[in-house]
Amino acid sequence: MKKINKLLCIGLLASQAIGCASLGVQPWERDLLAKEEMALNAEGVDLGLDDHIYFSKEATSGGRAFAGGGCGCN
Amino acid sequence: MSSTLTREINIEQRQDHLCGYFQAMASPCEVLIDIAESSDISPRHSLWDEAYKLVSAIAEEAWRIEDKYSRYRDDNIIYEINHARGRRVEIDSETFELLNLANTCYELSQGRFDITSGILGKVWQFDGSDNLPSQSVIDACLACIGWHHVTLNEKYIHLLPGFALDLGGIGKEYAVDKCIQIARQQLPDFSVLINFGGDISVTQPRKTLPYWQVGIEHPNPEEQTQMMVKIAQGGLATSGDAKRYLLKDGVRYGHVLSPHTGYPVMDAPRSVTVAGENCTQAGLLATLALLQGAGAESFLKDQKITHWCLR
Amino acid sequence: MQLDNSSTNIAASLALATCTLLGSTPALANESVDNEWRFDTAILYYGETDRVSLVEGVISATKDFGDDHIFNGKLTYDGLTGASATGAVPQDTVQTFSRPSGHGGYAVAAGELPLDDTFRDSRVQLNAQWTQPLGDNLRGSAGVHASKEYDYLSLGMNGSLAQDFDQKNTTLSLGLSYQFDQIDPVGGTPERLGVMPIPTYIGDDYDDDHDDDYDDDHDDDHDNAYPDRNGTQNKDTVDVLLGLTQIINRRTIMQLNYGVSVSDGYLNDPYKLVSVVNDLGQTQQTLFESRPDQRTKHNVYWQTKYAMDSGVFDISYRYATDDWDITSHTLESRLRFNITDNSYLQPHIRIYKQTAAEFYQPFILDDSPLPTFASADYRLGDMDAYTVGLKYGQQLDNGDAWAVRMEYYQQNPKNAGFDEPGQLADLDLYPSVKAMMVQFNYQF
Repeated sequence: MKKINKLLCIGLLASQAIGCASLGVQPWERDLLAKEEMALNAEGVDLGLDDHIYFSKEATSGGRAFAGGGCGCN
Repeated sequence: MSSTLTREINIEQRQDHLCGYFQAMASPCEVLIDIAESSDISPRHSLWDEAYKLVSAIAEEAWRIEDKYSRYRDDNIIYEINHARGRRVEIDSETFELLNLANTCYELSQGRFDITSGILGKVWQFDGSDNLPSQSVIDACLACIGWHHVTLNEKYIHLLPGFALDLGGIGKEYAVDKCIQIARQQLPDFSVLINFGGDISVTQPRKTLPYWQVGIEHPNPEEQTQMMVKIAQGGLATSGDAKRYLLKDGVRYGHVLSPHTGYPVMDAPRSVTVAGENCTQAGLLATLALLQGAGAESFLKDQKITHWCLR
Repeated sequence: MQLDNSSTNIAASLALATCTLLGSTPALANESVDNEWRFDTAILYYGETDRVSLVEGVISATKDFGDDHIFNGKLTYDGLTGASATGAVPQDTVQTFSRPSGHGGYAVAAGELPLDDTFRDSRVQLNAQWTQPLGDNLRGSAGVHASKEYDYLSLGMNGSLAQDFDQKNTTLSLGLSYQFDQIDPVGGTPERLGVMPIPTYIGDDYDDDHDDDYDDDHDDDHDNAYPDRNGTQNKDTVDVLLGLTQIINRRTIMQLNYGVSVSDGYLNDPYKLVSVVNDLGQTQQTLFESRPDQRTKHNVYWQTKYAMDSGVFDISYRYATDDWDITSHTLESRLRFNITDNSYLQPHIRIYKQTAAEFYQPFILDDSPLPTFASADYRLGDMDAYTVGLKYGQQLDNGDAWAVRMEYYQQNPKNAGFDEPGQLADLDLYPSVKAMMVQFNYQF
């Protein structure tokens, strides 16, 4: 019986911990995230131009998207 | 939605008035012209021509508004706004004024009246069954509801992607009022009544009898007859539909939906009929009353307006 | 919840509001049918002090064919002119170098870093991408690209899947891309660590048309001065990208990517050189560089965007490492302030740091054995770089939007621990590269 209580306690604590750490929003809370400027690919043209510049001037590329540059500048 | 094939008008004489009728906005539409003091007119009488001109102009206006604001068309401003996918859409001044009225109603009702909530009507099928939509479906709808997310000014409207407008709660009443203006201009000396599917407006009192007596569909479906309403001047509108509900576990879900919860407003009257200064005002007051749920009657009483509430 | 005490005013307020509405004259039917294509255009000027300048134009067109079936096509054109570092060291005397075509040569003044001043190229790139749902919470995307410049051709294709979980709060994605590159160097492909010939004369080529070694006007067969050299070289690159996107709360979204990129084939830059110097630092020979023919890169990218009441805070960090021993850290942030409902100001900062490739060396000492791989390309050496910029954007009443941004980019190459013999100790082997960027965007 004691053991069960202990298990229950741990279970409760664990579920509370998960509850605290729960991520995400309800569908109706997406008002801010739905804004154009909050999209991860907002300003895509700028990001593409930057990727091209830095691809040709530095040794590392990619990360945000595929690493390929598509040009002979490196 | 009426197809252009059924866009024709008819006129006939009924005792002391001329009646023009046509179909618009999925409703039978009537234009009644009081001819009590000139009772012996024939189709050759010039008044008949005047009446024909008026009914034509009114029908044209009703069809114009239907075409412009129906959400069942893919070539109008509503379609453009609802498919803008986050882009701004240019609007004309008429659309702005209508949307501005919707904004006023949103503010006056503390968010209960919301023209972005039409999407809920697609998931709630009020067919008398016990088919309630699932919470996840409602949640998905609620993500796309909220007039406060809409940016509106005189030049454009900006909706977030996924949002959609439905002017169904305003359009028909607005059409009645626009048409009554045409009647006032074209036949200033006659009393004219316009009745678009129960949304009614009258230009001025009649000459002999002071009021019009019209039958509107009885809000109580158990009543076989029409409900007779007397109206002398101003607007009259009904909101609510007693035949549209769901029944589950003994709970009756009426068809008035709350944009806050996504569920029907509980304890709302089955229908509310309001007499007001014009049809649009009457219709909005009736809708706002329904959205009050159990508080509908006290709301109407506070407004000091003539009303009929069916529970 | 009941309406507040002001509720008695509602009938009057509505009467007033409806009268305003009905007082308005009916407007003509709205005839404007909006263009369903959405265009993003930009033109960028990038200019380095005394070196390369680039003008790049982009037209990106997107159309939604309904139900989230989205097509994006992008056309990029860039034109490049100016000089770029060859990798050869400066000397306290005048140096001469052959042009890559082998026709003629050019002189570099004492104390100056050798730059190949004949860079001129233009490039056209086309991208097409199709994205559509494959199920309730599954999206697929596929695309192709082709890029052509005078001496270079790149063809690629990619595909990815994204699966949403937990009411679309979590998205997992897997992407694959394959790219085929072909280089056809001006003057043929030089031998790895082959000796650059001493030019027979200094000045222009025998014909003005051939002054610009990278010029588009060349015949395809290059009028080759090195007939014994190999011709085209190929490179294959495969990328795998794993992504996790998580919505944290109403204001925060986070992304974590892990990417692997494997390149196989010709990874040299055929125009880059390495100087062989004696213990006085005097150049004895100039060799063409030699890089390994395989490279495997790994990177981890983390990004967080936070919605403020009147703006967006965006921060990202990238860690990258590869089997050439290059490791880099990139920290980048943008902070958007909405000035009004229709305009914003956005400062941008980027800080970058990389360590040198294992085979990087600024020069080869003539008394040491010749290595298998060597490159003096400063882009493979130790380097810090930073970018600061500012962008202003405005949305117009007709729904179009424009923006302008200016950025300053500075690269500071560093000595990765090489002793500098003789005269080299007094010369600047690692000059900074300073560039300005100006960009104008228009969206309609």
